[in-house]
Amino acid sequence: MKVNEINFWTKVPFSKDLWMMVILTILVGALIVFGLSKAPSQARRPIIWILTFLSGAFFVLYQYWPKAINFDKNTQLPNGGIEKVADFLNDSNSIVGTIAQVLAAFMLGLGIFSILKIHGTRIAKRQRDWAFSVVLIVSLLLMVFLGYGDFHIREATKTIDFDNPEKWGAINMGRDFLFEGLLQQMDAAMFSIIAFFILSAAYRAFRARSVEATILLGTALLVIFSLMGGIAYLWDTKFIDEHFAKPGVTHDLIQNLKLAEISKWIRGTFQTPAITGIKFGIGLGTLSMAVRIWLGLEKGGK
Amino acid sequence: MPKDDLTFMESLWRNHRIPFGSQYWEQGWFGMLFTFIFVAFILLNIKRAGAGKSLFIRRIPGLNAIDEAVGRATEMGKPILMVPGLSDPVNAIAVQAINICSYVTKTAAKFSNPIIMCAYSASMYTLAQEVIRDVYQAEGVPERFDPDSVRFISDRQFAFAAGVSGIIHREQTAATFFLGEFYAESLIFAETANSIGAIQVASSTEATQTPFFIAACDYVLIGDEFYAASAYLTREPVLVGSLVGQDWSKMFAIACILCGVVSQSIFSFTHSRRVEDIVNSAGGDKDKIKAGLAQLKKDEAHQFVVSKFFRQVDPPEDLKVDREKKPAAEKSPEVGIVNK
Repeated sequence: MKVNEINFWTKVPFSKDLWMMVILTILVGALIVFGLSKAPSQARRPIIWILTFLSGAFFVLYQYWPKAINFDKNTQLPNGGIEKVADFLNDSNSIVGTIAQVLAAFMLGLGIFSILKIHGTRIAKRQRDWAFSVVLIVSLLLMVFLGYGDFHIREATKTIDFDNPEKWGAINMGRDFLFEGLLQQMDAAMFSIIAFFILSAAYRAFRARSVEATILLGTALLVIFSLMGGIAYLWDTKFIDEHFAKPGVTHDLIQNLKLAEISKWIRGTFQTPAITGIKFGIGLGTLSMAVRIWLGLEKGGK
Repeated sequence: MPKDDLTFMESLWRNHRIPFGSQYWEQGWFGMLFTFIFVAFILLNIKRAGAGKSLFIRRIPGLNAIDEAVGRATEMGKPILMVPGLSDPVNAIAVQAINICSYVTKTAAKFSNPIIMCAYSASMYTLAQEVIRDVYQAEGVPERFDPDSVRFISDRQFAFAAGVSGIIHREQTAATFFLGEFYAESLIFAETANSIGAIQVASSTEATQTPFFIAACDYVLIGDEFYAASAYLTREPVLVGSLVGQDWSKMFAIACILCGVVSQSIFSFTHSRRVEDIVNSAGGDKDKIKAGLAQLKKDEAHQFVVSKFFRQVDPPEDLKVDREKKPAAEKSPEVGIVNK
């Protein structure tokens, strides 16, 4: 860490200030958790709303507070109050973002507990397919053990070139086999299944059962044909160009009947504006939801 | 740079040192203005709805189908599956998905219908479990809540897809609700549920996944219908008001787009006419054409066109701002331990 990077949120590594900050953070965090767990449900709501409001206010400020123009943090000091606040908000952004990650990390424990409870019960009661639950729990524990083991070895022995598999030990190999050899491959296998699902879904969607489905079928066929080299060549070059297009004229009306042009028109005139419109609606919905959550107007699930 | 060539914002900065932020340079402030207008519309309508004003919401077939789907599951005696998307960490989309799921759970709780909710992230799992437990308590049947009905599956996309597909097959779910953020796995879920004949209600905030849901599901909430769901289902004034506020914002945006289209069309027409005049009057002299086009560009920089408001411009890189130098900047020594 460079001196230039030290700010309100960071301290010199292993300094007294840092240790004080760590201890204070743990104490304040424990106090908040203890206070929340003891507080009656009605009192929890305003506390949580205040915390939500403060977090939201930070990001609103970060977004809208005037940012310093052409400011080089490494060589310059901020000018006046507005630039100082902008600099502070800029420094704080990554730290505030990390708080959310820390909270999520705490919750991961609860997630693992859920998995162990559900599958542990299934094994204990010898419910249907309990053997798969054994595989899952053994895989989970193995991955944790080998993952940490591999990380520890790589961190502890920096002199070894771990890019070379010949330098690996049993733990490194085990992790590589489980992660790269099994998990990644199974992920890829699941992803590849989508191709077959697309085919079966497309077959159902493209049956001409109604006027709308027939229009969809016709439009889709045009776009598909435009992407098929052979058909596009036969229609665009062999049919349009050789029979109808005037030699040397590239902006003729007949050129619009080429599959490539029709496909471009469908995508540019119908598809893109429609998707943009949908995205705009979603954006407005998200904004409205965010405002309600921020201002404590969202009651949620009631 | 000659004084006349300065834009309004640049002249304010250079002559008066008014500290506008770099994000507000030229038309940048328009984004903030638009956001404030949208927020104002939403808050104003929440107030209107709160004051008892009757506000209209159109019929949304996908949401009417929720009761039908729960009823079918009850008749068949099979569980209802809910997947509130792949949001990680929990965001506004996840909260909305959980809101709709809580309505489904409320209906299911009335008929003692079993539910299964699959969570992608640990934070979603925690939130969902709390909300679902609250729903059963609010309905006066806390004993019917099964803590194992809310499950954390995996936070890896395709492991989650495999897990949920497995549950659909094993439990033979009668109704499935896929609501929230979905990506490539959307079709895996929808086709698996389709293969066992489950009635499906789905919605994805990812516009690219909506066609997959349309192809494979019975009912789909498209775009902002997803956000309209809680207002439609609960008719709570705050939610109905914000929904109407969204509609006002859309009207406003449409009006701006129309103004922009007209203004840009006029601008393009006059531009091409003036270019034609310059070329014709130059009589083939390339220098004259160049000078004419440069003058035209200068004139057009000051011409009012609505669409110009929407093109953000960064401050010029050569714009020098006098600031004090940082004392330690020259040495910048390394302190402490760094990963080597």
